[in-house]
Amino acid sequence: MEPTPKRRPGELVFNIAVMLASFGLLYSAYGISGFEALSAPGAVPMATTAIMAVCAIIILVQTLRKGTGGGQTVAADILPLIVIVTIAMIAAYAVLLRPLGFLPTSVLFLLVMIRFLSRRGWGFCLVVSVGTVFVIWIIFRLIFAVLMPQGIIPEGRIVSAITSLF
Amino acid sequence: MDILSNLLIPIVNLDLLMLIAVGTFAGIYVGAIPGLSVTMAVSILISFTFSWEVYPALALMIGIYMGGVYGGSRTAILLNIPGAPSAIATALDGFPMAQQGRAGEAIGIVTVVSFIGGFIGIFALGAFAPLLSDFAIGFQPRDFMLLAIMGILLVGSLSGDSLVKGIFAGALGIGVGAVGMDPLTIQDRFVFGISELRGGISFVAVMIGLFGVSEALIQLHSIHTPAVRQKITGIIPSWSKVRRHLPLGLQTSTIGTVVGALPGTGGDIAALMAYDHAKRVTRNPETPFGKGAIEGLVAPESANNAAVGGAFIPMLTLGIPGDAVTAIMIGALFIHGLNPGPMLMIEQPDMFWFIVSSLALANVFMLIFGLTGIRLFVRIVELPRTVLLPVIMVLSIVGAYAVNNSLTDVYWMLGFGVLGYFMRLYGYPLAPIILGVILSRLLDDNWRRAIISEREDFGAMMMGIFTSPLSLCLFLAVVMILVTNTPWWARRRARKA
Repeated sequence: MEPTPKRRPGELVFNIAVMLASFGLLYSAYGISGFEALSAPGAVPMATTAIMAVCAIIILVQTLRKGTGGGQTVAADILPLIVIVTIAMIAAYAVLLRPLGFLPTSVLFLLVMIRFLSRRGWGFCLVVSVGTVFVIWIIFRLIFAVLMPQGIIPEGRIVSAITSLF
Repeated sequence: MDILSNLLIPIVNLDLLMLIAVGTFAGIYVGAIPGLSVTMAVSILISFTFSWEVYPALALMIGIYMGGVYGGSRTAILLNIPGAPSAIATALDGFPMAQQGRAGEAIGIVTVVSFIGGFIGIFALGAFAPLLSDFAIGFQPRDFMLLAIMGILLVGSLSGDSLVKGIFAGALGIGVGAVGMDPLTIQDRFVFGISELRGGISFVAVMIGLFGVSEALIQLHSIHTPAVRQKITGIIPSWSKVRRHLPLGLQTSTIGTVVGALPGTGGDIAALMAYDHAKRVTRNPETPFGKGAIEGLVAPESANNAAVGGAFIPMLTLGIPGDAVTAIMIGALFIHGLNPGPMLMIEQPDMFWFIVSSLALANVFMLIFGLTGIRLFVRIVELPRTVLLPVIMVLSIVGAYAVNNSLTDVYWMLGFGVLGYFMRLYGYPLAPIILGVILSRLLDDNWRRAIISEREDFGAMMMGIFTSPLSLCLFLAVVMILVTNTPWWARRRARKA
């Protein structure tokens, strides 16, 4: 007989959250048009959220049946510091993208992340960060003409100066 | 003679030939960079090329399209991040192969089967376009609805250990796809009073979050383990290996062509259906599916490239886009004063045969660039992950932002990235979410059309399904997918084995 799979730390909490969110969405879907008609705008959302809710209950029951104690911890195996810092850094990047602009925010993000992850010297991190952002900028801004937030650097003027050379 | 002279237009014109080559080369890398979708690249190209002549503009777009569909497989294999939705299934076996140091082998076989699949799709476009479009035009809304359900239920075989988690993920995807204003009644759905949600959630942001950010977060767990040094020998697969997988490749190319020809579907659905087919027909793969089976690469990659030719069939014969890229190309044709539809083939057959010929050339360039540019590309995975992961995060953020120039999309990307991270940790499959988002509109619209046409009578709709051979086939396929993924079926098969 196969051993019962172990429940991972936080799995029960996550699945409870999933179930509650599913019921919340089902309630919201009901609010769209109720049981007005089969072709109503809320019909498919209600059906899908109902399926989500039923599945979530089944998944929760299956999770409860699993054995506990696999030797894992939340801090080491689910949400280690490195993951928390990275999520926070991406969020900070998104927040700073508009006020600072794409170029400084990206260099700053890469500089801090590469330093944090690799523990290499600041010089190495700075060269890699600036070089990478420069390449990305050339591809996206100059070749694909993708507009990124300008922020504190007068990017538009730089681009027009470059294009006026050709 | 006319056909031949039209077919020769891009071959004898060096400028057009160059544009197809440049487009294909660029497409491979656009497709490979997570977050840079082919759809996005082609839509940006329209703004560059609207002042061009129609042939050069189409030549460049066709090259990007063909190269991009193939290019998505590169990062799927090397980084487990599909560069495009059509490469989602490729990652399932491609990445395990790369982890085993077989990246060169994987990319080599993918390139060859993509070439074969691409040609089958192009041949079908040239030979059967009117016939297949007649078939597709006969689909009733209930057939499209069943097709969408079938696509979502395929998650059963893609969802690993738990069918329930797969169905949950698929339903979540449909829900995400429904966010925003209802296109028929302009009524808000899942908007919660947030005005930014009225336009819906960007599919690209969801995809980058689930496959880019969550993968990067998962890889942080093992960031200090040395990268697998990829063996890049044996890139060009032996003839015996190609021959061994050719029958499956031909089957899945046919699936890809037919699915690609169905309006509203595309390479992503074709690839998933082909992968499912491969799992069903391959009795004894050398390596199990999900752990590096070559059949798991042959099927989706031949199908998604075959779907390119297929997607042009309804576009050129009916004026209905086969997928998102052909939808944009219809816009490009309109800009150039052309009216894609049944009259296009009658009034301007040169355009039809020019497209067929350009696709064939792009396919040849794809094979050449695909087999020669691997060594450089494989070096990417040998870069230290402490550098590579932050760069992937920046590319993901840029990609999410660039689609709509919206920071909201970046927040959605992060939200789905974190959700995807936890879902991965707790055994939920992510591919069905994307599939659900893609099919949400198709399912919703056609359910409502089908039930309205039956005057809200569910019984009458079911009767319609049972009395139409096409609907019945689709319905039975749905039932079979469900039944064959139950534990009861697995036990039954185990007893028989």
